Amino acid sequence: MKQSEEIPEYPQRDLLRIRIKRLFYEDLELVSDIDLKVSSGEKILLTGSTGSGKSSLLNTLNLMNQNYEGEVLFQGKPVTEYIPQVLRSQIVMVMQEPWLGEGSVSEVLDEALAFCTNKKRLDQDQNQRIHQLFKAFELPADYLQKKADQLSGGEKQRVALIRAMLLQPQVLLLDEVSSALDQTTSGIISDFIFESCGSTVIAISHDPLWQSRWQRRWRIQDGKIHDNGGH
Amino acid sequence: MDISYWGLFFSMLLLLFPLAIFHQLKLQLTRQLFTAFGRMIAQLALIGLWLQFLFQKDNAWLTLLWVLIMLSNAVITLRGRIKFQRRILAPIFFMALGVASLIVLPWLLFVVIRPRPFLAATIVIPIYGMVLGNTMNSCALAMERFEGKLSDNWKAYFTRITLGASHWEAALPAFQQAMHISLLPRLLSIASMGVVSLPGMMSGQILGGASAVVAIKYQMMIMAAIFTSVTIADYLAIRLYLKRRFDQYYLPKGEPRKKP
Repeated sequence: MKQSEEIPEYPQRDLLRIRIKRLFYEDLELVSDIDLKVSSGEKILLTGSTGSGKSSLLNTLNLMNQNYEGEVLFQGKPVTEYIPQVLRSQIVMVMQEPWLGEGSVSEVLDEALAFCTNKKRLDQDQNQRIHQLFKAFELPADYLQKKADQLSGGEKQRVALIRAMLLQPQVLLLDEVSSALDQTTSGIISDFIFESCGSTVIAISHDPLWQSRWQRRWRIQDGKIHDNGGH
Repeated sequence: MDISYWGLFFSMLLLLFPLAIFHQLKLQLTRQLFTAFGRMIAQLALIGLWLQFLFQKDNAWLTLLWVLIMLSNAVITLRGRIKFQRRILAPIFFMALGVASLIVLPWLLFVVIRPRPFLAATIVIPIYGMVLGNTMNSCALAMERFEGKLSDNWKAYFTRITLGASHWEAALPAFQQAMHISLLPRLLSIASMGVVSLPGMMSGQILGGASAVVAIKYQMMIMAAIFTSVTIADYLAIRLYLKRRFDQYYLPKGEPRKKP
């Protein structure tokens, strides 16, 4: 299959199109007949019971899971036709327990910016943006020099989100990012997502603080996906 | 100076000391000692006869054939030592050890030693044996460390690829660590050579009657050859393994899938 390096210009509508006939975990069919469209800037909550297929579905969007029948289109093109790193720098995932490594926060951020695809796509000097994001996530600027493994859980999660946002993704995938956080940190993250973040966000979350703020909800139940705000 | 067969027998009598210590400490090593030394004597006697035959014939084709057999044996031994992903390892090791040998051995023969004939069995076989043995051991260590570093921290790998890294970029820290662990002890041992330890090859040559200067020159040459061969083979083996370890989407082959 031919893979292309460029992300083409594309209308705001149908940023993502998910047409999956059957979604599996190993041999087990989890969800069937998924047909969803996502527009640019939408904030979508994905819910369902444990093992219902939420993470599997999220992982199909950034090529972390190919165990399905059907296709996922990003900007009109199947995700499988993109070079993986090009797609994943546009559809960025943040996980429940983020891995930051052992270096300083500054080194953590620099590592992501230094990946070849990100270096090509982004401006060389990201300092101003880093400071804006630190402000938005209410972290003091001197945290840049702190060792990442000495941060609290909430601080780690905020640094992981800053790292993801530095890549200026079109789509941000959040897998239970607020599940282990205190109310204050959860509030800071939710304010950022719903007030400052221009990216499309698709999130798995059970956080009651976030529940009322989503524009759209996908609920997986009995092997089907229910969309309360489809087009 | 040669050793008589009686002399050799008396050298084995030294083993009475370890046997006495095993007995006093009730160490269950006596059987292993007899097996190990029995095997060593049988293997070396056989290989000694075979090498004597090769040296007497001194036929270039026969020497080359023996080099190929040594390489194949090294690949089989390596594959047996590694307990993971064994299905894909044989061609990787063959390529890594083969390329390292193809660079180092001709250089030593055609540029450095220049024996007459070029493929003199008495030169090619001992030198290749030393280079290949060291390269094989190091390759096994580097591969084990690389896979170990990856498997111990899949989270780091997955995080990097979900942030736009290629599999090469995501696995590079594990690659660097594996190379470091494999090469650093060698560099330390090279640095201490002559002060702390007298290397086996040099001691052997001096005992065999060569001058200390010739022995030292050979030792320096062989250390450069071994280190170069080890570095090339480690690098190639891990690079080739990296290519086959992941699918086209940079996901590891044969790993448990993530939660649904």
